[in-house]
Formats: sequence, C-alpha cells, structure tokens
Amino acid sequence: MPVVDVTVEVCGMAGDGTIAAGGLINEAMSQIGFSVLGFDSYPAEIRGFGRCVTHSRIGAGEIHSPGERTHVLISLDDEQSKSRVPFLAENAAVFFDSNPPAYIRENKSLVAEVEPSVLLYGMPFRDLATDVSGSARGRNLTALGGFCAVCGAAPEVFRRVIAEKFEAKGDKVLKVNLKCFDAGFRYAAKNFSDRMLKTFAVPMKADGPAKVMMSGNEAIGKAALDANLRLYFGYPITPATPIMEFLAAHLPLRGGRVVQMEDEIASLAAVLGSFHVGSRAMTATSGPGFALMTELITHGVMAEVPAVILDVQRGGPSTGLPTKTEQSDLHAAVFGGPGDSCRIVIAPTSVAECFRYTVRSFQLAEKYQIPVIVLTDFYLGNRVENLPIPEATEDEKADGNLYPDASAKDAYKRYLLTDSGISPRALPGMEGFIFAATGLEHTESGAPNYGPDIHTAMTEKRHRKIQRALADLPAPVEFPGPAGRDVGVIGWGSTFGSILDAVNQARARGRNVGALKITSIFPFHALEIREFMGRCDEVLIPELNYEGQLANLIGHLHRKDVVRLNRVTGIPFPPSAILSKIEDLVAER
Amino acid sequence: MTAEHCVIIGNGPAANSAASTLRQRAPGTRITMIGRERLHYYRPHLLPDFIAGKVSEEELYVAAPPFQQQCELKLRLGQSVVATDFRKREVVLDHKEIVPFDGLIIATGGRPRIPEPYQVFEGLMHTLKTPADAKRWIEKLDSVDSVLIVGGDLTSFRVVNALLALEKQVSFILSEDSFWPVPFGEEVCTQASARLKEKGVEVIECRRIKRIARISEDLLEVETDRKTLNVGILGAFFGLVPDVKFLAGSGLDIERGILVDEHLKTRFDRVYAAGDCAQVFHPGMRDYWVSIGYHNARTLGRIAASNLLGGMFAVDVAPESIFQMDGVAANTSWWMEF
Repeated sequence: MPVVDVTVEVCGMAGDGTIAAGGLINEAMSQIGFSVLGFDSYPAEIRGFGRCVTHSRIGAGEIHSPGERTHVLISLDDEQSKSRVPFLAENAAVFFDSNPPAYIRENKSLVAEVEPSVLLYGMPFRDLATDVSGSARGRNLTALGGFCAVCGAAPEVFRRVIAEKFEAKGDKVLKVNLKCFDAGFRYAAKNFSDRMLKTFAVPMKADGPAKVMMSGNEAIGKAALDANLRLYFGYPITPATPIMEFLAAHLPLRGGRVVQMEDEIASLAAVLGSFHVGSRAMTATSGPGFALMTELITHGVMAEVPAVILDVQRGGPSTGLPTKTEQSDLHAAVFGGPGDSCRIVIAPTSVAECFRYTVRSFQLAEKYQIPVIVLTDFYLGNRVENLPIPEATEDEKADGNLYPDASAKDAYKRYLLTDSGISPRALPGMEGFIFAATGLEHTESGAPNYGPDIHTAMTEKRHRKIQRALADLPAPVEFPGPAGRDVGVIGWGSTFGSILDAVNQARARGRNVGALKITSIFPFHALEIREFMGRCDEVLIPELNYEGQLANLIGHLHRKDVVRLNRVTGIPFPPSAILSKIEDLVAER
Repeated sequence: MTAEHCVIIGNGPAANSAASTLRQRAPGTRITMIGRERLHYYRPHLLPDFIAGKVSEEELYVAAPPFQQQCELKLRLGQSVVATDFRKREVVLDHKEIVPFDGLIIATGGRPRIPEPYQVFEGLMHTLKTPADAKRWIEKLDSVDSVLIVGGDLTSFRVVNALLALEKQVSFILSEDSFWPVPFGEEVCTQASARLKEKGVEVIECRRIKRIARISEDLLEVETDRKTLNVGILGAFFGLVPDVKFLAGSGLDIERGILVDEHLKTRFDRVYAAGDCAQVFHPGMRDYWVSIGYHNARTLGRIAASNLLGGMFAVDVAPESIFQMDGVAANTSWWMEF
C-alpha cells in the first residue's frame, strides 16, 4: 500500500466557490480509491464575506482525524488564506492567483508570509477562467485543474466528478466548468514541469464495497430515512440545518413530510405528538434550540413518549459560536430539564456511527418510551468521510414498541409498574384501550396523583428502564485491546478520532497507552469503564469543552483524579495536543 | 542612516553578503530578500563538479547563516520583482504585490548569455547557471555519449573537465564571440585550443553554426560552415549578462549593468547595486567596469550594505586587474580562481 497521508486545504472568501472546490477534491480522491476525511469551516453569516476553508485529509490507510499540517493550500483569496500559513507543513505547496484583480500590499499578501521552503504555484486563476468562459466565476475550477496536474491526480476522475456535480445544471454550465478545469490543468502542466509533485500518482485499487462520500449530517438523514421516518419537524439552525435540507429533498419522495415549525419548542412538541400516535418522527437542532426543548424532553420522560432529537453541538453558551465546534452540551443533554428526568444520550464518533446510532435511536426510543438524544457536533456533522454505503438491517429498523396484549383491554394500565420499568404502550386508536399521556405525576392508569408512594414508585420505574436500556446500548470499546496501561485515554464524540490517532502515535513510540471509546453517554457502562480505569495508572479525558463534562460524569469511577484536557478553540481537537499530554504523563511516572 | 526595511533583490553571493552585513551592523533592520529562483544560496562555480559527481548536491549550497536560521530575515524564493518605483520606494512582484522599502540593494547577478546569432537555437542548447540546470545535464548525460560545447567562457572549461571525467566524447567550437569576457586574441585561442586537444577534446575550426536540428530525443545534428556533427548535447557557454531586464523604464541608468558610483550607489537615494548586475565607476580609469565571480560579488555585496547604512566605502580595484573586452572593462575573480 503506498504511503499517502496528505492534507489539502482550499481557502477563500464566501462566494469564491471554496466549499464546492473542496467537495470536488474529496469526491475525486474517494473515487480514485483514497480514504478521505473532509471538514469545512465557514462564516456564521449567510453569504458575501468571511473566510471559508475546506480541509481534506487524504490517505491510503485509515484516517481518524483531520490533518494538523497542511501539505497543499489552494488559495482563492490571499488575504483570507494568510490565516492558514501557520498550519503549512514544511515543503507545502501553495496555489494562488498570480494576477489578482488589484495590487496588494505586502502586509496583505499570502506569498509574503510563507517560508522559503514552501513551493509556490502562481496561476492566473481569473484570467484562465475568463479566457475560456467569459467570466472569472470558474476560477475555483482552474485552481483545481492546477492542483490536479501538479499533484498527479487522475484528471479523468476529476472531470467525471465535475460532470456529476454540474450535469443537473445543464450542458452549458457543465461545459464551462470542465473548460475552466482543463485550462488550469493545461497551464500547470506547461508552466510547472520543474516542480511536479505527483503526490497522488500512486496505484490505488478502488476495490471492496462501493463507497460514498457522506457527511455526518447526511448520514443522520439517510439513517432516518432507512429507519422509516415519517415526519421531520424542525427549525433551521446552524449546524443542524443540513439534516433538514437532506430530509426535505428525500423524505417526501418516500411519502413522509418535512415541516418547518415556528420554533424548537413546537418542533419537539410535534415530534412527541407524532410518536404519541405511533409515527416515527425526529427533530434536529443545536445548543440554543436544544435549550428550548428541555421542558418538553422532560415531558417525554414523564409521559413516557418516544422522541428522537439530534443535537449538533456548536460553540456556546447561548448563540455562541454558530460555525465552530464544541462538545459542551453534554451536561444539558444528560441533565437538562427539571426533575429526575433521565433519558438516553448517544454520541457517535464517526460518520458511520452517525448512521448506525441514528437508526437505532428510533427503536430505542420506542422500546424504552423515552426521548433519545443523539449528540454530535459541528465538526462531526459537517465532516465528510468516504465509507461503504451504510444500510440498516431489518432488525435495526424493526418497530421497538411494546404493545399491550389484546386481551388486556379492560385491565390495561398505561403506566403499569413492571420489573423492567417498561409498560406496554397502547396507541390512540387501538380499539378497546383507554389511552393516557400526561406530564403530571400519575398512577399506573395515568390518573394524576402526587402521593409520595406513587411518585417514588414511578420515579424508580422510569430509572429502572433506563438501566435496563444499557444492555441495548453500545458498550465501550477499548483500543487496541484490553491490557494494563500506563495511560488510558477516554473519549467521546468527534474527539475520539483525534484520541485514536494520538494513541497510535504514542504506541508507535513505544508508550504503553490505550484508548476507550464511550458512545453511550447516558446511561453509561460504569462497570466496563471502571474496569478499564482500574487497569490504567493515569486516565486522561480530552474534551472540547471547558468544564470537562464527560470527566464530571464518569471521573468518580477512577480511584484517583482523572486528568482533564480541555480546549474551547472551536476547532477539532489536534492529536498532537493529546500526544503531548500523554508524553507528559508518561514522563511524570 | 539605519534603514527600517531593507529589500535585497537577489539571492546569490552579493545578496547574501549584503544581508549578512546589514544584520551585523543594523540588528534592528527588517530585511527582505527576494530571489527569483526557488533555490537557496548556492555556489555556482561548483556546478561542473556536481555534474562530474565530485561534489554532492548538499555541498552546492551554502549553509544558512545564523541570521537566516533564526528567521531574522524574510527570504522570499521563487518570487520575481517585475517593476520598481524608486520615488515611492516600492518594488512590485510578479503576482502584483507591492513591497515598500527604505533601502534597496539590487544584486540579481547574471543569466546565461546567448549571442544573437544563436538565440534561434536556444531551445536546443544546455546552459549552466543553477543546480536545476546541472541536474538537466546529469539526466541527459545518462543517455548520451557525445557533447558539443560552443562558447568559451570560464565555466565551459570546467564543464569540459567534468565531461572528460565522465568519459564523454567532447567537441568544442571556439569563435570570436565565445571567449567572453577574456580577450580572445590569437594567442589565447591557440593556447586554449592546444590545451583542449591535449585533453582529448576535438576542437572544431569553424566560423559559425548554420543549422541545428533534433534528429531524435538523444541526437542533435549541428551543421557548421566546415562540417556537420551529430552530438547528444549542445552546451552553450558565452558568459553571463546582468539580469536587469525588469529595471527597464525604472529610471536607473543601465548600460551593460546598473551604473553605480564607486560606492555602489545608483542615482537614487538609498538604492544600491552589487555583484554581476552592477557596472561600477572607477575614478582612476574614469570609466565603468563590471565584476564577475563569487568572491568579487561577496565583496561588492558587503560594500553596498555598509554604504546603505551610512558608510562611504569605495570599491578598491587596481586598474591593472581589470580586463578590457569589446569596450567593457571586467574584473573577474573567477578567472583568477580558474
């Protein structure tokens, strides 16, 4: 297998076609046969100004995190791209417009910033695009052509990917974009023959199962479709909106409906109402919207009505940092809301897990008659990976509801106290059953009752079923396998990829380090986590939040203080920071 | 005066010597060095030995001096100055970037000179100025056995030695226009011809090349007024011409190079020129002379930087060490080294 591990960035101003160019690189590299992990960052404002950056880590092996050093930077706007210079690897390649529309001062020049070891590829992006299309709009495609030529990627694959992207816009648009790409390719082939990198000119076999480029948000959308979602209710909010957009495009084709509600409260109310009558529904939001939902989450807990809620976390609190990533909603997801309102919280760590656990969340919500919160974040929701086309099994899709025995009718009690805590649930319209759903504390039959015995019994029942759910939730997974460790690193959500890379690097240096992935945030597998901690001299928990929210939740399971490593920089956790902390801990032993 | 931002155009011996002097004498100065080539500071006179395999690629390069390693100067490689405005004190780079300066030293060196009659064949000729040129020689020499050298500058003789060491068959055409900058009298020609023949080089007696045609990837047909030869590589060695094209219309006085006084100052305040690109006034001769060679370039770079910082050092060259050739006076340390 060839050794390829390259990070490519495209940087420009909003409206430059930056995100489109990055997407084409991801798709082309995936079709060539590389593993790809892509991640975009863009301004909070809708359009017109602000920096857009796409990061694509492209490799021949498995990829778990975005690259920390950029090997190729394609600048569509030099002033914006200056911010990327500190991240350039030694001998990086920088593609830039050698004939911008106006003169630039030294203090605003990208080229003025780079180290002499950086290879410069100045191309007249605008001129090339204008020459072949009459407009400079296609300059992102000319830049791609140059990148493709210099880096030795297969141009026919790029042309195919461009065709796939633009064919729906008509023949004229497609031809213009292909011409722009070809113009850039020809220019680079002619002018840069002395510095061809041929980075990707390696034989790759695109064998194995067919792969697809998919973002975390798209995976969630597809999972919902595969899980026979009937209704989606939502209110747009960055970075969860792509889920709504995906479902708006696909759900109606399957007979379902996407409804934009007036706010997040109404969205969750509608989801609860839909599940109330036995129809699978979902909503997706982010921090501020999730905060509005908390009262209704507890209503779902009390009334024992299923719900599936996606919280794509962003920087907070409040409106916070709409287009920055953070893992700071864990406390809110687990504890948010009045009363002892336990619920299920799952945090996928990859795009594949976004699919897998979203599918399962519907069944879990039905089986345990409780809101299930799937906790992702800006980075995971927006990052793309190429993965085998995910499909849900029949078992995963199966109805999770426990219906009452038809013979029970007269004796039916909606909130029957059972050993498992799960009461058979009759849906409105089931003949002969009296239906009840209430946010007030209630008796087994659903009648309001505030007596101490009832409240105690019902609270225990609600918590009993949560503990029972643990058996259906993904257990922690240890990497590379069970053993005694000098340092054990525990992670959740999108940070786990960075942890895995850091642990692998530390192990390559001979460090006795292991990692534990926790996907089920609540309830959590205390026995397994405690057992792992017990085999580690030091336990490190890196998180993208300030308070160490997972550490707060599980830290007490260790015999001594866990070591917290927290960042609130708005960007994915760099593996090097984790590796550095591991080294510190090893050195301190 | 202490220049706040000193820009040096060039990255050769004169430029690096100037940068080193500036850093030593004016520690607070911001220095930007702009080099068109993407290469770090190298020793051009070692290129023939590199071709012969006598020195490694690493040995070609001058180890970065401490001030470069500590990033106290901004080295901008692969970037060309395409225009200058000495009144606004700005240079313009090829990607439309404007770089302001308080002081400027132009030390762009020279580029291979191809006499006008041979310019139509330029694409078929190998020159030798940079490590990249040398690599092209090395690559081509892998597949060919015969080389024809035209021109007779000092580099050409070192290349001949390298080729002979590689056991290549070497032919040489000496003509009046090719022995620049050394005066090409009959005596010198006879001596050079005899020396070449002693070494086993075939010296072609001819007046001019009439035609060059590529027969195949590894074969050129060279027709002279005396005979026709088939060779693998045609090397052109006619010396260097100052690389100052970008200064056309800038207001600087340029003849063969940038005209500077004995202090290396141009007609513009705080603008100096040094090295192969400068044509220096000699008060004793009351004429201008050019300098050639690594050591001369370093000396001039040092003087230009010192004077930019307020010094009044004059270039001290004895008139008798300056050659005359085609109306151009030249001081070549290279020749002395050879």
